[in-house]
Amino acid sequence: MKKETVIKFDKVTKTYKLFKNDKKRLLSVFLKKMKCKTKKAVNNVSFEIKRGEAVAIFGKNGAGKSTILKIITGVCFPTEGKVDINGRVSALLELTSGFDPEFTGRENIYLKGQLLGIKNKEIKELESTIIDFAELEEYIDQPVRTYSSGMKARLGFSINVNIRPEIFIVDEALSVGDEEFKNKCIKKVNEIISNENVTLLFVTHATAVAKEFCKRGLLMKEGRLIFDGDIDEAIEKYESTYKKK
Amino acid sequence: MHSFINIIKEHIEYRHQILKLAKADIVKTYRGAALGWSWAVIKPAVTIFVYWFTFEIGIRGGGNKIIDDFPFFLWLICGLMPWFYMNDMLTQGTDSIRKYSYLVTKMKFPVSTIPTFVSISKLMVHAILMVIMIVIFIAMGYPPTIYILQLPFYMLLNFLFFTIFSLFASLLSAISKDFSNLVKSMITAIFWLSGIVWNINTMDEKLIWIKKLLMVNPVTYLIEGYRNCFIHQVWFFEQPKRLMYFAIILIAMLIFSVWIYRKLRKEIPDVLN
Repeated sequence: MKKETVIKFDKVTKTYKLFKNDKKRLLSVFLKKMKCKTKKAVNNVSFEIKRGEAVAIFGKNGAGKSTILKIITGVCFPTEGKVDINGRVSALLELTSGFDPEFTGRENIYLKGQLLGIKNKEIKELESTIIDFAELEEYIDQPVRTYSSGMKARLGFSINVNIRPEIFIVDEALSVGDEEFKNKCIKKVNEIISNENVTLLFVTHATAVAKEFCKRGLLMKEGRLIFDGDIDEAIEKYESTYKKK
Repeated sequence: MHSFINIIKEHIEYRHQILKLAKADIVKTYRGAALGWSWAVIKPAVTIFVYWFTFEIGIRGGGNKIIDDFPFFLWLICGLMPWFYMNDMLTQGTDSIRKYSYLVTKMKFPVSTIPTFVSISKLMVHAILMVIMIVIFIAMGYPPTIYILQLPFYMLLNFLFFTIFSLFASLLSAISKDFSNLVKSMITAIFWLSGIVWNINTMDEKLIWIKKLLMVNPVTYLIEGYRNCFIHQVWFFEQPKRLMYFAIILIAMLIFSVWIYRKLRKEIPDVLN
């Protein structure tokens, strides 16, 4: 059976506008000729990912990995090119944020679920699994603003892995908490991607962990996609670019 | 036009989430304080007392004690009660996208609905204040007349006006703090120039053109609309010219908001954190 494409990037470019200050940015809304510097965070990138694939994305800081993930999540919009996404995206981007600090952990679970369009009944079923996994115990009914960053990250991870994602994005998230919790996370991610309908995108500097999950690797450099293929080769190339420096 | 349809579509598609977030916004505003919900009433009550004291006791003769056969106090709350909603929208509506930035930068969520749910949240408080106002009128021996039937109409206009306002205001304020400060610095001016606590209708006849100018002011139109229901006892269709001016301003603002939205929608996630 031919697997369908779930993520498709077609010549995608993302340009950030850099203004000297916010005043200039405000004026640029009304004045066409307002000057600004531009930075291409993602430059003419094309790739396709099929359902069930596990793909790692490597690259130094500022290579454009996070921007690509943001575009896939639907948070950011490409300046040029086309992006097609098929399926419920669950992104572990910056786990500690994305909560309403005034609400309790439990309320945030519901809020997040509702925002993702999950029915209350389904959230109720997942609730105890999420809370158990996050190991928050009595803190679950305290406002999130009282949480430590580790607790927030655990809750964030727990929500995202338990909502039965179809496209699963992990951005450096597996460094959550202590060794024990980290292993639990890795186990959970493995469990998720063993379901062959789940697509995994993994962004990391830890090549060893990536190798565990992924067969395919993408290598980014200064906004460009410079390699797309076998994971071992991708890691080798990635590490050699480091050595040259 | 395409953007406008897009905004409407987003609102329909996310209607459940909008209501949930509006509810959450109310809960968040009043929870965590010992007196909780009563702040929704205490804050307006203090403001009303201050203005009542200033005009009726402080500046003697400044306010006519009786306006259109109604005590000054009742006339005053007709202006102030709707103003509380307006004031909330001018401040919190303008800051709504900034405040809910996590909805913009951490997940896929339609940005155009953020000012809407904040506005709905404020409208709920406004509705409660309207009920309280009716009770006050009854308690003081002025039961509502048939003209109160048009109250929902004016509330709707008020809601539409400030929701559309806060769409472009919140987008611009997300781009630049300057804009947010600009709006906030205008609030006092809007308050005093719109005839909320003083009577536009008794202005010196020599200044008729100023009066006309003020009547074009949409805030004045809305405030006078609330007074039409309670005090003046005039139907909205008896003032077609004023309604037309208001509608023109509303539509112009809608076009402006959609234009701003189209320009900024894709840029907003890049500038917020």
